[in-house]
Amino acid sequence: MYLAIREMRFAKTRYSLIATIMVLVAFLVLFVTGLARGLAYDNAASIANMKATHFMMGKDADHRFTRSEVGTHELEQAQSIVGEQNAQPLGVRMTTVTVEGKSSKLDVTLLAVKPEGWLTPSAAEGSSLAEAGAGSVLVDSKLKESGVRIGTVLVDQGSGTKWKVGGFASRESFSHSPALFISEQDWQQLQRASGAGDGETSYSAVAVKADKQQAERLAAEMPTTEMVKKSEAVSAIPGYKEEQGSLLMMIVFLFVISAFVLAVFFYVITIQKSSQFGILKAIGTRTAYLAFSVALQVLLLCAGSLAIGVLLVQGLAAVLPSGMPFLLPGSTLTLTSGAFIAMSLAGSLLSVWKVSRIDALDAIGRAGA
Amino acid sequence: MRQRIELRDITRVFEDGGTQRTVLDKLNLSVAEGELVAVMGPSGSGKSTFLSIAGALLEPTSGDVLLDGKSITGKSQQELSDMRLHKLGFIFQSANLIPYLKVEEQLLFVAKQGGLDKSQARERAKGLLEKLGLAHRRSAYPDKLSGGERQRVAIARALMNDPAVLLADEPTASLDASRGMDVVRMIAGEAKEQGKAAVMVTHDERVLPLCDRVLYLEEGRLVQR
Repeated sequence: MYLAIREMRFAKTRYSLIATIMVLVAFLVLFVTGLARGLAYDNAASIANMKATHFMMGKDADHRFTRSEVGTHELEQAQSIVGEQNAQPLGVRMTTVTVEGKSSKLDVTLLAVKPEGWLTPSAAEGSSLAEAGAGSVLVDSKLKESGVRIGTVLVDQGSGTKWKVGGFASRESFSHSPALFISEQDWQQLQRASGAGDGETSYSAVAVKADKQQAERLAAEMPTTEMVKKSEAVSAIPGYKEEQGSLLMMIVFLFVISAFVLAVFFYVITIQKSSQFGILKAIGTRTAYLAFSVALQVLLLCAGSLAIGVLLVQGLAAVLPSGMPFLLPGSTLTLTSGAFIAMSLAGSLLSVWKVSRIDALDAIGRAGA
Repeated sequence: MRQRIELRDITRVFEDGGTQRTVLDKLNLSVAEGELVAVMGPSGSGKSTFLSIAGALLEPTSGDVLLDGKSITGKSQQELSDMRLHKLGFIFQSANLIPYLKVEEQLLFVAKQGGLDKSQARERAKGLLEKLGLAHRRSAYPDKLSGGERQRVAIARALMNDPAVLLADEPTASLDASRGMDVVRMIAGEAKEQGKAAVMVTHDERVLPLCDRVLYLEEGRLVQR
């Protein structure tokens, strides 16, 4: 402690330069992490927001809502196992709508839910899906930017079905497209209008709240369907895995780079100081003390830089435009910071090893230190 | 008179490209309290090896080193480290101070390592610096000191933990004649006054009159001329 702090006090320029680099790296790590989280949330918000534990999908759907089809028969069967309340139908369809009277098109995802069920989000503005009644929809507030208001009529391009916007929900999206919640009845109508199926209603999935045993029982008793965990369903959303994969790679590289920068910097400094360490050892300073001193410097630099980095990121997050999804909850922040410190300490190992190898004999018969 | 350091039959053999080279051959030396011994010898005669063994930095091939009557053979690295801290005071050639510690901190650091109480350490550092004429430089960094001042700080640091033996490795190498004399006079004075044994390896013949004994390293042994 004594040496570590005094050395940093003495060589301010040297250590503030490295601290600057560390601040930038820490900032970048946190920023990219926040962006990745934000994008993940923006991509899959609607599914992530749902209180379901599992989604029951068709066997050959590959975990994808858009490919899956389950019928009322499966819904009823599921309800009989986990209870009527704990299994609710969910319809997902990506489509294009136009605002009535205008020519501009909007890509949206239709999410069909029971209006009074637990899959339906509450309205941030206007009336909820249950209040508004048939023919009304609850839409993501992002659509406001495209000129959609409460009362606006949206026309489905494929079927010509019309819905009236009853209210807005905040942060509801699927595969980066704004979500449009419609009621179960409207979904059935839509299916009839688009002429799909043979009159029997089908859904994309059944959202289930089930404990482990119930989930296993469902899987065993309903061989035509597959129980998909919520996290699996989220990562199967088109584009989700690819997006997160590239961002994760960037984050990992940033971590590795920061560990390397620190490792090389401290290694060079340690080599420069090896005769100094020799003298310290010769006059009776223990190796463990010196090694600890080096590790402590790394830790101090890293923690300080991280603190500044966190402040910078928080500041930036406050001024980011809403179109740039950014999300850095406390848990992610803690995890990322922990990983950052761990990587830096890993970077200091090389120097610690070097210090332990320096011989006190270096001090004798040497002119300079 | 108490013998503070004794080297008994020290032999050190180096492997050198398959041949064995005996650098020290049954070397004997004992230095009593208050005595300053100068060790001379051409380069390559084994002065550094001798000092390293006396300073518990290097193990002899055979023989024993006794500090205040206690043997240092067969000790672990850590015990040797503690021995150097408490029993030995080193003064190296030049710039052997830690560049980022102020003069006073150089002394306090050694005291801290030695487990000395803080206020006691302050007291002792103050006393030593005053005695060596460095009181006004106590909060200067080493790079602001003259060569002579630096060596005086090194002496103060070596004395800080009240060692049995002072070991000096060419302490005048980077000093001019009169400053060199001052430094050696100080080492001799401290040794006498505080009852320490002092061993100085040197090339500098001008300082020899200040030493109690002058020994020459020849063929691995110390001889008096």
